[in-house]
Amino acid sequence: MDLFFEQFPIVIQALNTGFLQTLKLFFVTLIGALPLGLLISFGSMSRFRPLSTLSRVFVWVIRGTPLMIQLLIVYYFPGLVLGNAIWGGGETGRFLAASTAFIINYACYFSEIYRGGIQGIPIGPTEAGLVLGMTRSQIFFKITLLQMIKRIVPPMSNEIISLVKDTSLARIIALQEIIWAGQSFMKGSQGISGAIWPLFFTAVYYLAANGLLTLLFGWIERKLDYFR
Amino acid sequence: MKKNIALMLALLMMASLTACSSSSDSTSDTTAAETVAETDSETTAAETEAAEIEVSEETTAAESAAAEDSDLVYIQEKGTLVVGITDFEPMDYKDADGNWIGFDADMATAFAESLGVEVEFVEIDWDNKILELDGKTIDCVWNGMTLTSEVTSSMDCSNAYCNNAQVLIVSSDVADQYQDTDSLADLTIAVEAGSAGEEVVTELGIATTAVSSQADALMEIAAGTSDAAVIDALMAAAMVGEGTGYEDLTYTISLNSEEYGVGFRIGSDLVELLNEFFATSYADGSMLEIAETYGVQAALIEQ
Repeated sequence: MDLFFEQFPIVIQALNTGFLQTLKLFFVTLIGALPLGLLISFGSMSRFRPLSTLSRVFVWVIRGTPLMIQLLIVYYFPGLVLGNAIWGGGETGRFLAASTAFIINYACYFSEIYRGGIQGIPIGPTEAGLVLGMTRSQIFFKITLLQMIKRIVPPMSNEIISLVKDTSLARIIALQEIIWAGQSFMKGSQGISGAIWPLFFTAVYYLAANGLLTLLFGWIERKLDYFR
Repeated sequence: MKKNIALMLALLMMASLTACSSSSDSTSDTTAAETVAETDSETTAAETEAAEIEVSEETTAAESAAAEDSDLVYIQEKGTLVVGITDFEPMDYKDADGNWIGFDADMATAFAESLGVEVEFVEIDWDNKILELDGKTIDCVWNGMTLTSEVTSSMDCSNAYCNNAQVLIVSSDVADQYQDTDSLADLTIAVEAGSAGEEVVTELGIATTAVSSQADALMEIAAGTSDAAVIDALMAAAMVGEGTGYEDLTYTISLNSEEYGVGFRIGSDLVELLNEFFATSYADGSMLEIAETYGVQAALIEQ
């Protein structure tokens, strides 16, 4: 038990550093994937055939392959196949590569949620807008988008909570997020070796983060409850 | 109007599809410039190649191949030797200030200095060491790497510089039952996938449970999911027994003896340079001095 209290501050500090990296990847992914997903959903819904086909094939490929493979491809492919390691070996390069893979992957999932949200809205309000002489973009931004946002909160919260946990996949390209930090004490780091508990303790961080997110989404849902 | 929007979206779509390659374009500008610089220095440095270079058509290919082949030129152009490591006491580990130290880390720093470049340590996933090396995200693997047939076939390795062994780890209370290789037949043995330990146990004809790291192999015993594990002796000394996280475990027999080496890309000219560096630093005693700092002098191999 003494050993545990001796290790605790060192481990917590390392886990905090790792979790910071996890959070960075989480927010960067959201910032990139939320708008990109909307763009892809427009593509999928386009009446311009080549575009919608292209979007749907893209979504199929990205959703149809494991994120872990996508991470490996994004990070190692340029150096292995093109002979030009664009990301470099350092921590920054690994983070950028991980962000790219996560943004593309999550944008595809988001795009389908957006599409469901947009296509599920009754035609009535759109027709009313047309009658009033609003342009298509006015109708989209002033009528459809707001209703869509309200409808997609529950499925989006699902994806976003998954995202918190999926960030752990980035350890495959040696991004030093919290799971990596926890595992490092098993083989030995900063004078602690063979400690198993830090790895399991990382679950507490994920749980806390997702607890906050659950509260946040509950609050958003209540705020958006202005019409049915 | 509608068509225009559709077209615009199509363009955006393409842009997002090629997001990777466009970012590669921006960086490839700099690397393209580098390769030009590389080929320049190549031509001035290697006057002997001048004859070849005059043969117009083929020269561009031959030239870039020559520049690509020379790891030394590549590293000196970029100014850093990127060393792939894992956190592995006493070879590569962090001191209290977060700097990488250890026998391998200090030797790598000295080697980079002799080449006139900076050293950069990058933690990698050990399973992906060959990917990292071939993908040029690191320039060498220098982390107490056992020279197994798998390693020597996929990398060009330096001369061996350190001795090691694979040892059997079991729970202390049953340790006296497992003092020779014949007693191992009925054990489930956890080993690191792709490790030297896996190789020796498989050679003995005993089934193994492959896990992702040596540390995971130890956890398997602690959790009771495996009876034993086979890991590096240097690591075992640091990780099991009194004062470690695995006080109930101990190591018994050595299953083989093996050697550590440094891995480079296949065809790299740095291998020869490192061997020379090892020879000179062994001769002037600086290698032994560093080994003594980290207590591995007994395992050092004469160069």
